[in-house]
Amino acid sequence: MVSRNESDSEMLKGTLDMMILRTLLIGDAHGHTIAKVIERTSEGVLEVEQGSLYPALHRLEDRGWVSSHWGASENNRRAKFYRLTSPGRKQLVHETNRWKLMARAIGLVMGEKAMVKGVA
Amino acid sequence: MTWRRFFQRGREGADLLQEMDAYLAEEIAENIERGMSPDEARRQALIKLGSANKVRESLWQQNTISLIDTVWRDLKVAVRSLSRARMLWVTVTLTLALGIGANAAIFSIVRGVLLRPLANRDEDRLLYVRQSAQGIGLENATFSVPEIKDIGTSLKTIKELGTFSQIDFTMEGLGEPREITAGVVDGNYFDVMGLRPAIGRLLNPSDDGRNAAGAAVLTNRFWRTSLHSDPSVIGKIVRLGSDRTTRSAVIVGVLEPSVPYPVETELIANIVTSPHHLSATMVTGREHRMTEVFARLADGADLDSARAELRTVYAAMLVAHPETYKAQSYFRIDVTRMHDQIDARAKTILWVLFAASLLLFVIACSNVANLILARAVRRETEMAVRAALGASRAVLRRSLLAEGLVLCGTGALAGVIIAAPMVSVLTRYASRFSVRALDLKLDFTMVWIGAALALIAAIFLAFVPRLPSLDSTRGFGLASGGIRVTSGSSGRLRIFAVTQITASFLLLAGAGALINTLFVLEKARPPFDTSHVLAINLPVMYFGKTPEQVRDFYRDVKDRIATLPGVQHVSSGFSVPWRDGRELNLSFSFAADGARRENGQDDLRADFRTVSPSFFETLGVPILTGRDFRDSDKDGSERVVIISQSLAEKLYPGRDAVNHHLYWTDGVMKFIGISTEPRRIVAVVPDIDDENIIPAPVMTIYQPSDQEGWSGRLFVRTQNDPYAVVPAITHTIHEMASNQPVERASTLEDIRAEVLTPNRLNAIVFGGFATLALLISVVGVAGVLAFSVSGRTREFGIRMALGAQRRAILQNVLYEGLVIAGIGVTAGIVVGFACARVIAKLTTELQMPGLLPLAASAAVILAAAAIASALPAARAANVSAVQALRSE
Repeated sequence: MVSRNESDSEMLKGTLDMMILRTLLIGDAHGHTIAKVIERTSEGVLEVEQGSLYPALHRLEDRGWVSSHWGASENNRRAKFYRLTSPGRKQLVHETNRWKLMARAIGLVMGEKAMVKGVA
Repeated sequence: MTWRRFFQRGREGADLLQEMDAYLAEEIAENIERGMSPDEARRQALIKLGSANKVRESLWQQNTISLIDTVWRDLKVAVRSLSRARMLWVTVTLTLALGIGANAAIFSIVRGVLLRPLANRDEDRLLYVRQSAQGIGLENATFSVPEIKDIGTSLKTIKELGTFSQIDFTMEGLGEPREITAGVVDGNYFDVMGLRPAIGRLLNPSDDGRNAAGAAVLTNRFWRTSLHSDPSVIGKIVRLGSDRTTRSAVIVGVLEPSVPYPVETELIANIVTSPHHLSATMVTGREHRMTEVFARLADGADLDSARAELRTVYAAMLVAHPETYKAQSYFRIDVTRMHDQIDARAKTILWVLFAASLLLFVIACSNVANLILARAVRRETEMAVRAALGASRAVLRRSLLAEGLVLCGTGALAGVIIAAPMVSVLTRYASRFSVRALDLKLDFTMVWIGAALALIAAIFLAFVPRLPSLDSTRGFGLASGGIRVTSGSSGRLRIFAVTQITASFLLLAGAGALINTLFVLEKARPPFDTSHVLAINLPVMYFGKTPEQVRDFYRDVKDRIATLPGVQHVSSGFSVPWRDGRELNLSFSFAADGARRENGQDDLRADFRTVSPSFFETLGVPILTGRDFRDSDKDGSERVVIISQSLAEKLYPGRDAVNHHLYWTDGVMKFIGISTEPRRIVAVVPDIDDENIIPAPVMTIYQPSDQEGWSGRLFVRTQNDPYAVVPAITHTIHEMASNQPVERASTLEDIRAEVLTPNRLNAIVFGGFATLALLISVVGVAGVLAFSVSGRTREFGIRMALGAQRRAILQNVLYEGLVIAGIGVTAGIVVGFACARVIAKLTTELQMPGLLPLAASAAVILAAAAIASALPAARAANVSAVQALRSE
């Protein structure tokens, strides 16, 4: 997982799995859709590279959080679709809670103002 | 990452490619939508996606178990590099196969025969009781019924006693009438033994007593092999003949498969089937010992407490009957676990065999180690280069281990393959020492043993070669210098060669001792002609006959057979030499009128035989003085006996024994229908030792068959081939009585040879081991010398250039081989004596090989070493000085 800004990548490591699971909550999707959805939702900040996407998908599949099947894409191409499994759903809830806790904690430490300043 | 992904990486790669193609297509489609030209859209998409290979690589790596991957690669490399040295691979495989195969085979037999638990329930609580009286030559003896009563009542450490006695029945009703070995047991026997029926029921206390109906249980092997597991046999009635009467018994069940001990029988019947067991002889004869006693430990008791209690009870019995148990007879009781008792005979031989196969394994490993070492020395350059390029010691060691694994793996595979036939051969061998070997089946033990041994060998082999020092300058020095034997490696080579010689010498000496024993036995001549005398079992059929009719029948048989062409003499007796162990064991005490007798000495004992007239003629033994038995020597006429020469000399030294009288004094006599009236000695015959292979002086008293004697065995002396007459004999007898069994016709020579079979087999098996070992060692020694010669080509070249004779160089190499052999033999003698010391502490039945086999083995080893060195020596002597120096 790599963002446009290299320095952000460290912090965002490990969150890619969570975001893929979140994306699949909407419905089954193939690799390209998953990457695009993440990119658009993050307003173009997060761009998913294939080199991170596929290992992540395989990892998730091995853990049983997603399942895969071959199907036809919107453009009628053969593509591999991924689907969230029920253990995956549980994992997503767990990850989301953890993430919220972390984000709030980091926010508290940094202070709202400092954050705004930093971004500006 | 999962195992599945790891092994399916190849197939998944294709899937991934397709997946990424789809991704690319989507991206291009999107770019076109944004208004790019198709070419530009494709270009931009490719730029954005980057290298597809990088994606695949990262995924591949994620799916890799790195250790397995490297091991797999190491193994592949090992196979590739070994397949360039095929000769080495084949030699190592064959050598290891022999070592591993022999061990796997022998261990499965050791496991099956010695270690496997018996079928009996709680077999470790099952005991076997025996008594002995060394003073009167009674060893490992059975018990009499009064003794069992005295000992067996109110024991606390023992829950129950079960009794078994062997008996020969003539059986009618199941197939051909014939004589069978059977057991007679009390109702507790099967419960004590902890055995269950395969079908039907076993005998229980309701089958005890005089008024019970006759009942018999078939043994499993007999039921399976002779009756083809026919379940309808239950309820059949058989007629069992013994002791001049016939009783009938119903077959009530079949025993589960179990180890027959002490004797293999066809059926086991209750006491009522044997009139003898109900007779006064059996019930009141304190010295009439024919019953085996088994016992089951009570809860909470152990072997030691049972032994202590039995000894106490037994001692009390000895005190109560001083007339039977004289102090100088040394009566003792002992008890062992049934399992140990069954294994007793096989134990030593199997452990020795196991030791021999371990030695063979050591030899095989040493030999392989030598080959590997030699190869490693040739590869020092390669190793040095790899080390210089950054391979760590661990990596080099790992690649050596991989080679070792490949070599030993193939060796183990071949070993397990050859182990299977070895097991079947060795099983037949082992069955001579333990009945348990008969039930042995091939199992996976062998494979595990093979794998374990291969692993041990592989690890050993990986640590044999020296790794190049990591100091790269030295390494490259080696690389440019070509083959140069480093002293360390060549020292190790010699140590392994010496090990092989040592182990071979030990095996050879052992085999030599066995062969020597066999040779002594084979050389011994029997005291009479055995090659032209047939022994035939002609069991007495009492059913519906009076004793007179039985007697007349035997007389008619002899008369008719005597008229057959080719028959010279016919006689009868009741024991076949070397074959009828129980009958041959009969000996009774007696006294003789006018015989020399030291003060206070007990009555003498003599072997008891009953024979018909012309028995001695049939065996070709002359009567020294007096006359043969006659037909008129029968019940009612004067009682007569013939005695052996040794006995005559003992009783009447320097005098004529004939016409003196002797009479039986043994307490058993009154029970077996033989009177203690005086009997006149009518003749003296030479000693006829019919029990031992090496004839010894024997004290024998012969009684006429028709005078309180027994029959059942026919002896026929023929002019030519005895076996050619057998069909005519059988035919003649069946003409007279169609249901008369005529069994086990065999010449005395063959019967005697049969006794030697275990000795012969011992010699063959150990001889085979030793030969294999010697072969491997010869190859090993030759290999070491060949290697040393090829490393010293330059030295030989220089020596020759300086004027050394070919002879000197030849001698030099031969001498080197003999020194290796000499050190090996010396080490063998030292190790052998050390081992013998240790073993002697564990077991008493160890025979040290005599000087002759030791010297012979040493000579064989030295000769083998000389032969092994000859080839390398010749090569050394043929080194051309010019060429050797030019190659530098």
